Amino acid sequence: MKLKTLFAGVTASLLMIFTAQADWAPSGPITLQIGFDAGGETDTLGRVIAGEMEKQTGWDIVVENKPGGGGIAMFTGLAVAKPDGQTLGMGVNMPILVNLVLRGDKLPFKLDSFDYLATVARAQVAIVAKSDAPFDDLAGLVEYSKANGGALVAFDAKPQELLMKYVDAEAGAGFKLISTKSSAEALQNLLGGHVVASFAAGAHIPYIESGDVKMIASANATRHGYAAETPTVVEQGYEIYVDPYFFIAAPAGLPSDAKAALAAALHKAITSNVAKKAIVNSLKTDPSDLGPDGTQKMLVDGVGNVKKLFGK
Amino acid sequence: MIDVSIILAGLGDAFSLTNLLFVVAGVAMGQFVGALPGTGPVMAMAVAIPFTFVLDPLAAIAFLVGVNKGGLFGGAIPAILINTPGTPDAAATALDGHPLARKGKPVKAMKMALFSSVTGDTFSDIVLITISAPLAVVALKMGPVETCALMIFAFSIIAGLIGDSLIKGLIAAVLGLFFAMVGLDPEHGTPRLYFGYFELFDGLPLTAVAIGMLAVAEIFRRLANIAGRIKPTISIPEKQEKKDKNVSWAEYWSCRYTMLRGAVIGTLLGAIPGIGSTAAAFMSYASTKQASKEPETFGKGNIQGVAATESANSAVMGANLIPLLALGIPGSIGAALLISAFKIHGIQPGPLLFEQQGRLIYGLFGAMMMANLMNLLIGQASLRLWTKIISAPESLVFSSALILCITGVYVSTGGIFGVAVMLVFAVMGYLMNLFGYSVVIFIIAFFLGDKFELSLSQTLVILDGDLLAVIHYPVALALLMLALVSTWWLGIHAPRKSRRQTRDSSLD
Amino acid sequence: MLLDRLSGIFFAGLGLLLYFVIIPEQTEAVDYGWMRPQSVPNACAHLLLFLGIAQAAFPRGNISIDWREMLKACVFAAIMAIAIWLMTQFGYLLAVPIFAGCLMLLVGERRPGWLIGGVILLPLAIWLIVVPLLGRPLP
Repeated sequence: MKLKTLFAGVTASLLMIFTAQADWAPSGPITLQIGFDAGGETDTLGRVIAGEMEKQTGWDIVVENKPGGGGIAMFTGLAVAKPDGQTLGMGVNMPILVNLVLRGDKLPFKLDSFDYLATVARAQVAIVAKSDAPFDDLAGLVEYSKANGGALVAFDAKPQELLMKYVDAEAGAGFKLISTKSSAEALQNLLGGHVVASFAAGAHIPYIESGDVKMIASANATRHGYAAETPTVVEQGYEIYVDPYFFIAAPAGLPSDAKAALAAALHKAITSNVAKKAIVNSLKTDPSDLGPDGTQKMLVDGVGNVKKLFGK
Repeated sequence: MIDVSIILAGLGDAFSLTNLLFVVAGVAMGQFVGALPGTGPVMAMAVAIPFTFVLDPLAAIAFLVGVNKGGLFGGAIPAILINTPGTPDAAATALDGHPLARKGKPVKAMKMALFSSVTGDTFSDIVLITISAPLAVVALKMGPVETCALMIFAFSIIAGLIGDSLIKGLIAAVLGLFFAMVGLDPEHGTPRLYFGYFELFDGLPLTAVAIGMLAVAEIFRRLANIAGRIKPTISIPEKQEKKDKNVSWAEYWSCRYTMLRGAVIGTLLGAIPGIGSTAAAFMSYASTKQASKEPETFGKGNIQGVAATESANSAVMGANLIPLLALGIPGSIGAALLISAFKIHGIQPGPLLFEQQGRLIYGLFGAMMMANLMNLLIGQASLRLWTKIISAPESLVFSSALILCITGVYVSTGGIFGVAVMLVFAVMGYLMNLFGYSVVIFIIAFFLGDKFELSLSQTLVILDGDLLAVIHYPVALALLMLALVSTWWLGIHAPRKSRRQTRDSSLD
Repeated sequence: MLLDRLSGIFFAGLGLLLYFVIIPEQTEAVDYGWMRPQSVPNACAHLLLFLGIAQAAFPRGNISIDWREMLKACVFAAIMAIAIWLMTQFGYLLAVPIFAGCLMLLVGERRPGWLIGGVILLPLAIWLIVVPLLGRPLP
């Protein structure tokens, strides 16, 4: 049901994009602000997309890094930028949603401070364990945890911790959750045998191929392309998921012709072969542009989901 | 096992003219950017990565490896010449490198830095090429508990850097630890001590703090000391004897144990993700000082001090590639940048890398060796250039250095906020120096602080809050013992001995 | 000795200020986990208090301050603060030459050749390298 409306939204917005007159053009260089440091995944993808867009449209596009708080610092600035289509921002939805839910009153922006243009891709979050672990699914992990006085599970982002706490509360598994700085560090702890299970976002795929690691569940709303037989957490009986999307937004109040032209140009750049290659290489997933309405809906639905994660 | 033909094909790919050119370009760019005050190897890499999008994989990686290696040596240049290190590990080089420069021997100091940097680098590259797979497996056994113990050991090494006042040294360390607490807390992810600035969610930017305290504070001091006729920044005596300009083979050879120790420390710490080159540089420095027969000459221009730090921090980078290639785990910011470049070219580091991309990896190894050689050759030429530049008047050099610090921090932190942070910490660093509180100790504690807090929190979860349960972890226990011994040896025994010596000599 | 004692009192005071005012105000309370967001900061505050008192009671070191030098350094820091503000208002290309000019003139540089180099050529060269060549923005 949810998916259906999402698709309806996507198709509608795509139709709108392609029928819109592409007569809008920026009167100067467009700045694409990246909410993360230079050299990271968001930065890399942002630069590739900006490069493609520049090539396809002939517009001048400057990429700027504005790191801080998982994008909060960048979106704070973006919210008060002039909505002339010449300042765009690229970030990840999860840190934004978490902060909106937890300390929305302290944030200088709200969801409707922005006009949403596109999503770039969805990161694939998996729960994995070593191949020789005596369980193959979440139920097995819960049993293992109960029998061994609490299983150690590594995570690297707040929503993952909350998802595991949600499962823990429902099943009474007594998980012991370990915070790590990156999903690479979480995986390292798994491989070294310091934790029993771990969240991972891509780096685990070669280990699945080599047979060192097995996948327990997809933590996203849907299954992963490379492991279509592994069910999601939702399918395993816990109504909870995390869906980190890379997305692009502009300050609210964009003229409708500018919005349509930008969304169309972004869509073309995101789905271009060059960008697709970069996305597949770095995220192990295909590009997925939900279009302006789809992106907005993704964020609005996201707030509901994150509220559930926090038990609010 | 990989067969020899793949290895040869890979090496053959590496030693092509195009790759040689990219390595040369990378090393030159790395040395240049690294040598500008206010920048460092990480910044050189971050700036270079977009340029590699269009290259083919081996050329791109050869270029980046060149940038990184060049940047590591380049960072030593401003530290030695004008005492403005751009990274915490270059601060260790400045401890003895800059006094040498003040004595009119900047060329000698830079040459020693170059030789020991290349030596340490080559050592760790050889370790990487020969035994990276088994070493990576051993490194995996270092879990959170062991890492936490290692971190405590690293802190104990700081004891060796505490000058004449134990209390002041400890205050500097505690202060550094406290400032590392700004930002999201590692266990719960709640923001703290951010005073409404969302830029601080990720903590105070290390570049801005390090450059502010180490470089900008020193520039303020130097500018304030200019009086009367303006002198060249560094004056080298016109008719300098050859031995003060060059590093003779005998001198190089006399540093062999120092460099070997540095290279081993750097390689070990580099193979374990997350500790970093700063700890390696200072560990090597402190242990060299203690092993020396004349520890009191350190900090006053002892060439061994330069050899110790440069061999260690350069060895870290090669060894960082061990977990990176074998496991896909970056051990430092530099390595994380490299991994993102790998991914963009469709190379997934990890267990299957050698099987799937064997030829490329041996190409990379070839490029690394080539880059070491080029670093040596280009370094010889570039240090002459820097000596020339640095003979410009102080007024020009220090005002330009300040502009470069502002520019560098603006670009690497992505805004004016980082520049403001840099200024605040410059003032703080200046005052701390004035009152005899060690800035270097502050920076090390700041650098290790958040990593320490995270591994402590992980350890507590694993041990169920019972710290005594650490007795079930033999490696961690051994490291904690070492920490106790080294605190006693470096912090209590050695200072007492040296005090007694000064007393005895003053009685003579 | 007096200054050493005073610095100890300063850090002890800082420890108190952190523990009673800043840390409680600037951390969020969390109700689970072995370590809370304020655990390590509080430990730091306690240590500062303790060490500060120790430093005030048994001061070691001999601080000698050249007040003239300190005053000058403060002037340079203030000029830099103004330059940073100017940069946000009028851009890099205007603020930086003014900044460099102030610094060079203040330390007594009067030779026109070096002044032109430091005030015009160098900032321009840096700008040209960073903005058009590397494609990174400056204010």
